Formats: sequence, structure tokens, C-alpha cells
Amino acid sequence: MGRVVVVVLVLLGMLAAAMAGDRRGPRPDLVYIQPADVNTLDPQRMSHHQDMLICYAIFEPLVVWDNETFEVQPALAERWESSSDGLTWTFYLREGACWSNGDPVSAEDVRFAWQRALLPDTAADYTALFFRIRGGESFFRFRSAQLEEYAKRPDRERTADAARAMWTDAQRAFSEMVGIQALDERTLRVTLERPTPYFLDLCAFASFHPVHRATVTDPRWWSLEPETGRVRERFGWTKPPHLVCNGPYIVADWRFKRRIDLQRNALYDGPHRGICDRIRALTITDDNTGLLAFETGAADWHTDLRVAFMGDLLDQKRRGERDDIQFMPVFGTAFWSFNCEDRLADGRPNPFRDPAVRRAFARAVDKQLIVNAVMRRGEQATNVFIPPGSIPGFRSPAGLSFDPEAARAELAAAGWVDRDGDGRRENERGEPFPTVELLYTTGGYHKDVALALGGMWERHLGVRFTASGRDPKAFKDALRRRDYMLARGAWYGDYGDPTTFLDVHRTGDGNNDRGYSNPKYDELMRRADHEPDAAARMRLLEEAERMTMEEELPLLPLFQFNWYSLYRPERDAAGRPVEGGVRGLSTHPRNVQYLWKLQLVEAGDAGASAEARR
Amino acid sequence: MIGLIVRRLALLPVLLLVVYTITFMLAWALPGSAVMSDEGRAPPESVRLAIEARYGLDDPWRFYTGYLLSVSGIRWATETIKGAGGRPPEYVLDFGPSFRYEDWSVNELIGQTLPVSMTIGFAALLLALVIGLAAGAAGALRPNSWLDAGALALALVGISLPTFVIGSVLLIVFPVWLGWGSIGDWGGPGSMILPVVTLSLPFAAYIARLTRMGMIEVLGSDYVRTARAKGLSERVVFAKHALKNAFLPVLSYLGPAAAFAMTGSFVVERVFNVPGLGQHFVDAVRSKDLFVIMGVTLVFSAMLVVFNLAVDVLYRWVDPRIGS
Repeated sequence: MGRVVVVVLVLLGMLAAAMAGDRRGPRPDLVYIQPADVNTLDPQRMSHHQDMLICYAIFEPLVVWDNETFEVQPALAERWESSSDGLTWTFYLREGACWSNGDPVSAEDVRFAWQRALLPDTAADYTALFFRIRGGESFFRFRSAQLEEYAKRPDRERTADAARAMWTDAQRAFSEMVGIQALDERTLRVTLERPTPYFLDLCAFASFHPVHRATVTDPRWWSLEPETGRVRERFGWTKPPHLVCNGPYIVADWRFKRRIDLQRNALYDGPHRGICDRIRALTITDDNTGLLAFETGAADWHTDLRVAFMGDLLDQKRRGERDDIQFMPVFGTAFWSFNCEDRLADGRPNPFRDPAVRRAFARAVDKQLIVNAVMRRGEQATNVFIPPGSIPGFRSPAGLSFDPEAARAELAAAGWVDRDGDGRRENERGEPFPTVELLYTTGGYHKDVALALGGMWERHLGVRFTASGRDPKAFKDALRRRDYMLARGAWYGDYGDPTTFLDVHRTGDGNNDRGYSNPKYDELMRRADHEPDAAARMRLLEEAERMTMEEELPLLPLFQFNWYSLYRPERDAAGRPVEGGVRGLSTHPRNVQYLWKLQLVEAGDAGASAEARR
Repeated sequence: MIGLIVRRLALLPVLLLVVYTITFMLAWALPGSAVMSDEGRAPPESVRLAIEARYGLDDPWRFYTGYLLSVSGIRWATETIKGAGGRPPEYVLDFGPSFRYEDWSVNELIGQTLPVSMTIGFAALLLALVIGLAAGAAGALRPNSWLDAGALALALVGISLPTFVIGSVLLIVFPVWLGWGSIGDWGGPGSMILPVVTLSLPFAAYIARLTRMGMIEVLGSDYVRTARAKGLSERVVFAKHALKNAFLPVLSYLGPAAAFAMTGSFVVERVFNVPGLGQHFVDAVRSKDLFVIMGVTLVFSAMLVVFNLAVDVLYRWVDPRIGS
């Protein structure tokens, strides 16, 4: 028995030691919950919402948005000028701007970051945004060709020296081809491929944030791979204590899937100093646990709530039982994709290659009913792809509204009529309309929507349907192979220009999951690309949206997404400040939040109203 | 004893190779591209192909052997010996990068999450032992009494109620209704109590049943009758003679139980937001994060072997008849 006691005591001792080493500090000034951990803090590689939220706090780009109006404001660049043709932009960097290690932020750092984004080696998700810069796309192709050629060399010609020589060539090519020049320490000149009215808007986007060149290229992380000749980066530099940033905050601690602690950057002297001293991001992956954590006071703000019982929470809010659930329509649209290829993946002819059939299916959908009865979460039903009113100067077309009569007529006009009286529609050759296959991702509400859609088409058009679910990986794979008839889809815009949506319909676009291709549309978009007059360009883009939403329907828009979050409002219905409320959150559809603007309302906060009015 | 340890450890690489091969085949067969995220933007096709080539994803055999070399430490050894040219890899046993969490290597992931899972698992097992042994012994002492029935009922609940139910109920009752403890913010002993209790219940239930069975059997045996005949008090007979022998089946159960408890439970980690290793089993498969799948499975298998070995060693220590 004595031996057992010894074993137990030893185990207990180890346990106590482990617990003692895992203590949390005092509560920071602001705690928020993110439902997934940050994927990367490398601005050029990120594409997730939670990544960008922190990026905008720790890096400072040339310009930032006013996140209520989406006009741009000076940040790292204190001023800028553009040539009269809108092709050349010169940015003057703020004097005294420095990195968190004390180094000055130079124009070269910006140039370096943008070069990284253009290198195929980096595999940035947003490389294509940089093709607006003169020579950007050519450089991307140049480097890709270089790497392809290198891969074909025999083994003995693939050495460290050869890789270095090729890298030197690429550097030279970049200087010669690409319109990004550091004129001096604090002056950056950018030349564009063609007039891009939204170029400044892009400059505030995550991918355009500068990185500290000396840190990224530290030999601990940066190397040229002799086998492939490409730049290989290990991402050690994105974690504290190595991470060097130039924004209002620095990352003090990052525990994987646990928390990220931000601390105000003492060396930051720009116009966007943070209000809170310390901010903590808690990662809580389970939706119910996240909600409970918020309700028990573990956090002040839940950035992205996705519980299945959202409708009940909203009912509670409507009844005045809670004030902490918030939602707003955002810059994204839920839709269903039609497979637009001539044939389905299994070789059968595809009825949806015909725009008339797509129009008929679109007209037979009662979107309002789906929003009210299936979703029950207050979304706005929509007949267009670009959320109306989200882009200044862009007027949305009407789109196709619910009209079962017109839908039936449209389908009949396309040649699908019940010829033998068996209740099913046949074409001229007597072949029945194939069973419509709906593909959705498992988890969430997609199955309900699929069944509702199928039911409507059955009822209004007399077609049969099946719905099947796949998990996200398999779903994405099926989309890529066009192995579907109709599939659910979602798209969020990145920057304030219609092309952030309309580009996905271009022939061969990487996000054109529908295989839609129409020379007329491509030509329209090409004309818009080269239209120097901003207003005339908008008219072209409006026509492109009208054409796809009223005639061509490569996709069937359902509703504009809502973004749900938890926080107590700054003031109550009577206008009194609410203790623990979060001040400084934007309600603009673009849903860009700047952590440096945020602040909790404190007890007896008299300044609340004065502050807001200012 | 030394022989046993040496033999088992020599067998470990062979076992791991088998596990590695099977895991590789299953993981490779998962649909979709490993390097692309499900949401977000698609980079140009040429970029995707280049990344896949970079990680050997274009050729199963190249991936299989390449990863085997780095994960087994052979690549580290050869490159350290060769010296010149490139730098040696960062880790001796290099589990590779995570595709989804691009800033982390699998070594870092395991390094950050495994200690958490082990702490919780340890604590849960200890608690399970205390509850299980006490309930089992109490049941054996008075079979078919209300005490026995109570212990049985508890065991049934522990075994049959899924942990996500127990966990959610505990979450609602303690932090939400009573205001004890916190949710979501991991750190400190306080946040450990509920997950440990939840995790321990199924183990406690098994241990209780095993102990009860063993005890009833032992209490009816000749040597216990002898001990009683010698005039030893019931307390001494029970604690010194019976319990020790009834503990042996429990001990053999503890090996796999320890490995399971300490590599983390997906459900408990999700419900209580514990930053442990268990969630990677599921999340990595869902996002086809190949290196994470392989690395975590290898670590789990190694732990399973090591814990079973530790139990066998303990077994001999508690009962010298075995293996001598």
C-alpha cells in the first residue's frame, strides 16, 4: 500500500506543477471572442476575418478607411498625390513612423511587402489584387515561368548557387517590370496598369500592409530552396517575440487556439493610437460555449456568433429580454450556383447551360419565404449579387423577382413542356427534364434551404429533385470539378468596387465555380477596365450586373448575409450609457472593425455622449 | 524487467511504421486539396500546383517516403552529418507544417496542446481512480445493498451518458446558474475542474465495476477466509489483502485509459474550450491537414505503447508473481 501512496503523491505533485505553470494574468481592458484561431498573421497571406481584425491593429498601411463611410484617411502615408490620368500615385510616408523594434518604416518595406504578394513563391490568396499595378501580372508570370524552367533542370544544375542566381534575376526583373518604386526612404511611387478608381481603397486592405523586411528575410526563416529554386519562408517571424509590427498594437503573446494578447505599441506615433491598453482575443470554437462565455462575462464582445438557435435569440431581443445580440447586413451574398458547363461531370447534357432554364428556376423561388420561414434570422432577401447600397455611385438593377407564372412560361419557351401528359416536362426529343440535384455543405442551415428550394421547383415547375450534402472539403472539390447541377455558394466583397463581386463571372476566373463563360460579359468587363471616366465605368458595371442578374443568371442570389455578434450597446433605448457596452464598433456593411477605436463604457461614463458627438 | 522494456521499445518503431502507413493511406484518400482553404479566395491554379509539388502532394510515394524521413529523424541526421549547403531542419523529429494554421509547425501545435491534454488526463484518471475504487469497494462490501445500487446507478450514468451531455449540464449548472468558475478563458486550476470531472466519469464508472467484480471474487477466496480465521480485523483484511489483488484488473485497464485520457477528448475540449490535442484529431481530418493528421496519430500511438508498457512494469511491481 505504501508504494501506491508514493505513486499517487508523485502524480499529484506533477499535476500541481502543471497547474501552477498555467496561470492567467489580470483581465485586459477589452476581451473579445473569435470562433476560430487566427490562421496567419502574415498580411500578404491572410484571407480570414479574424486574421484581418488583428492585422489592422498591429500593422499600419499607407492609408486606412474611415470604417463608417469608407473614405480613406492618412495613416502611414501622411499625404499622397496622383497624376491627372490616375495612373501614377506618389505616397509620402510620415516622418518618425517606426517599427516596434525602433527601425524607421521605409518605402522599401512597403515595396518589399507588395513584392512578396506578387511572388508565386508566397502563394498569397490575393495575388490578383496586385495585378492592377503596372507589370504585376507580367512579373507573376515571369517568376512562375522561371520556377517551372528550374524544376525541369537536371539535379546537378539545381544548386544553392543556381537558385540564388535565379533570385537575383527575379529581383532585377521586378525593378524593371513592376511599377513600385521607393524613390527615397519616405517616398513610394506606384504606377498602375490602367486607371483604378478604387486603388486607394485597396491600399487599406490587409494584403497591402507593409512588413518588416529585415525580420521576414532573417535567415532563420527565409531561404532559397536549392531543390525547387523558390523562396521558402518558415513563418516563425509572425509569432511573438519575433513579430515586428508598425501599428497601434503589438502582439504580446499568442497561445495556439487559446488566446492572443495585444498590447499598445509604445513606439507608435501615428494618428490611430489605441484607446485600450491591452486587448485579448479568446479563441472559442464551440458556438454554445462561446455564447455562455459571453453571458458569464468572460468577454465583452463576441465577433462572430453562429448558433443554430439564432432565431430564438433574435426573438428574445425583439421582446426586450436581451440587448446584447446585434446583427447587421454585410458585404456578402448567399446564392446557389448553376453549373453552366455544356455537359455535367458524368457526360449527360446539362439543362442549366440554357440561360432561359436558369431564369425559370430563379423566378420560381420565393426568397422572402425562405428568409422568413427557413432562415428566421432577419436577413434581407435579394434579387441581385452586389448588396444594394453598399458601393457609393453604383445603382443595383431590379433583378428577377418571384413569379411562378413567368417561370413556367420561361421554361416552356425553352422547350421543356409536358408532351405526354405524365406530369413531367420533356424536351423536343421527348427526354424528361432530369432530376435536379442540389448539393450543399453539411452543418448549418444549408440543407433546410436546399429542401425548400427543391420543394418550390417541384411545386412551381413540376421537376423532381434530390438534395445531398458533403462536408466542406469534398464540397469544394466537387465545385472545382463541376460535379454538380446546383450548389450553394457565398461570396463576400473585399474592396469597395463592384468588380470585387463581378470578377467571379469572368471566363476562367479562379473563383468562377460555375464554369460560366460569356464573351459578351467578358467584353463588357474589359471595357469597364479601360474606361477612364469613373461614372461611365460604373454604368458599364451596372450593365454587367443587370445582364447577369436579369438575363444570364449564372447564380441565383437568395439573401444578403447578416453578421451576428454579441456586445452590449453603447447606450440603451433611452440614450443612457450602458456600463460594459462597447464603443467604436462600425455598423457599415463592409464590417471592418479597428481594434484601436474600441473602448468599454465605464460606470458613470458622462463623457459617452460628448465623445460620440465629437 | 529490463528485457521487457527493451523488447517493447524495440517493437515501437515497427508498430509506428504500420500505423504511419495505414494513416497515410486513409488520409491520402480524403477528398479535396490539402493546401487550399475551403473558404477564402482561390489563388491561381499554377500556384496551387506549385505548393502541392513543394510538399510532395503530387506524388503519394514521394510524400510517403519524404515525410517518413523527416518524421523519423533520418533527414535531420543525414543533413547534420552532411553539414554543408542548406541548414539542418529545425527539429530532430520534424512533423512538418500545418496547412490550415500556416504560422505553426505541427511540432509547435503538439508542444502547446499535448501538455494541456496530459494535465487534464492525469487529473481525470486520478479522480476516476478515487471515485471508482471507493464506489467499487463500497459495492463489494455490501453487495445488493442500497450503497451498491447507488454505485451501480452512478456507473451506468457515467458510462451511458455522453460527455457532451454531462459537460453541457455542468456548464449550465456551475458557471451559468451558480456563478462558480469561468467559461472559455483557459488557465489556472479553476478552469480545469469541470473538464476533469466530465472526463473522469466514464473512466470512474469502468473502474468501479472492475473493482467491485474483483473484490467480490477475492473476498470469497481461501486466503481471505484464512486471514479472517487468523482473527484479523475486517478493516485490515479488506484494505491489505483484498483491495490490493482486486486492483490488478483495474491496473491493466489503466494503460489504454491513460493514453486515451491524456491525448485529449474532442468533446470535452470543445465544450469547455480546453486548448488540448484532441480537437486536432477531428479538425485536421475535416480540413485534410495531412501533416497534422499524421503527426498527431503517430504521437498518440507512441503514447499508447508507452503507457501500456508502464502499466506492465507497474503490474510486475505490484504483483511480483507475474513475469518472474
